[in-house]
Amino acid sequence: MWKSRRYDSLAFFVLLGLVLAFTHCRTVKPYQKAYLNDRTMKLGKPDIEKFDESVQTYREGASGGNGKPSGGCGCN
Amino acid sequence: MKRKYLTLTLLTASLYGIGQKPADSVYKKQRIAKTQIQVLFSYYSQNGNHSAITGGTGTERLHVYAPEFTITQLPDSLNTFQFNAGVDVITSASMDNIDFVVSSPSRVSERLHLSQGYTRLFKKSNIQAGILAGYSLEAAYMSILAGASLSHTNSSGSREWNGSLKCFFDDLRWGRLNSEYGKPVTLIYPFELRYKEWFSIYRRNSYNLDFAFYQVINPRMQFALFPGVVYQRGLLCTPYHRVYFNDGTTEKVENLPTDRWKVPLAAQLNIFVGARFVIRTYYRYYRDNFGIVANTLQLETPVKVSPFITLSPQIRIYEQSAAYYFRPYNEHNVSETYYTSDYDLSKFSSYKLGLTLRYGPEAKIFRRTLLDGVEVRYAFYKRSDGLTGNILSLLLDMEQSRVRHRHDPVTDPGNE
Repeated sequence: MWKSRRYDSLAFFVLLGLVLAFTHCRTVKPYQKAYLNDRTMKLGKPDIEKFDESVQTYREGASGGNGKPSGGCGCN
Repeated sequence: MKRKYLTLTLLTASLYGIGQKPADSVYKKQRIAKTQIQVLFSYYSQNGNHSAITGGTGTERLHVYAPEFTITQLPDSLNTFQFNAGVDVITSASMDNIDFVVSSPSRVSERLHLSQGYTRLFKKSNIQAGILAGYSLEAAYMSILAGASLSHTNSSGSREWNGSLKCFFDDLRWGRLNSEYGKPVTLIYPFELRYKEWFSIYRRNSYNLDFAFYQVINPRMQFALFPGVVYQRGLLCTPYHRVYFNDGTTEKVENLPTDRWKVPLAAQLNIFVGARFVIRTYYRYYRDNFGIVANTLQLETPVKVSPFITLSPQIRIYEQSAAYYFRPYNEHNVSETYYTSDYDLSKFSSYKLGLTLRYGPEAKIFRRTLLDGVEVRYAFYKRSDGLTGNILSLLLDMEQSRVRHRHDPVTDPGNE
């Protein structure tokens, strides 16, 4: 599996890419939004992955920031 | 001559009058009320050999059946009401080991959860405000949720920010679902450790502050940033988790600090390539004051096989460092203040492979009910400590719409 240092470099390049992309934003007219409005382009987690999120919340230490729907011990 | 002018004036006035008549009633504006119904059924099974209940060793075999539904009511274009309810039925082999009494084939417990929300769009400012309340109950856990959210979209719809605060007030006492007591009584400790009260507190409060920033980059690309802060206070350990120490004789209940800060930051970039392919990329960085640093990378590539069918393969890679307080079975030192053998807090990496099939016919199934889509998903999860999991989900999306005769201030502002 990957080392943390590799992940840090990856994080840097991902964020750099996003900053570059953001600075090149352009106005999109309503009639140009056919692709953006496609269901698969929706940002955030798809509804069908709701339970995947719950599993990851319980089985991984890095939970939070995902809008955990409610409490629960996540039985072992 | 005067009569000619008079005739011309009257003719012009009558033509003008006819021209000012309202448009044909065929184009009358009407308000459509919508109800979206979503049914989700999930099944999860896992197996491993590091159960925290038995001190970091022993079976983690578990099955969860989790049906739930969500109803979203949109009576007009300003108000949205949402209601969600579900039940998790959990069959956990390791839960038997709290008492060392093996019920056949393994112990079954349930979790009931409900939530409801309301959002209102303020048209002039393009701000949407919402409130949320929820409740979750299981044998040794009760959680109350209260939340609020605020979002703003710019006039062109290309940029949106969102902020939400969710507060969870949890009570870890057992007894509510017991027919003899029917109320919260005590924390549940492992059977052989019930000779004393290990904790004087039984509450856990969590405050999740999440933000989202969405930006359209061009007609085929958009991205989002998801920063957040989570603060937890109270009983953060699970009182029936055992810890065995390296002197060979000492056994205690897991103990963790009563404060925890978590800082996640995620980014997502979605790109539509050609006419059939979409690339969804996701990266998340996480850090907390327990010493866990985690990174998640996810790639999903939906392919439109036909106008109605979409196939979405997915890979997710995750790694985390260990919490300061984690040691495996029999390796903790007796002098330590905080200790756990819960492998969810250990150093590990994991991967998940998933495949989603969506059939979206948008076909009428009843008089006013439209079937938006049916999705089936399977995912395989593997952790480097040997834990494996299988997740199977089925989602049904339906929508009902009907014409309402009350006035809608947004679609029909002229009558306001």
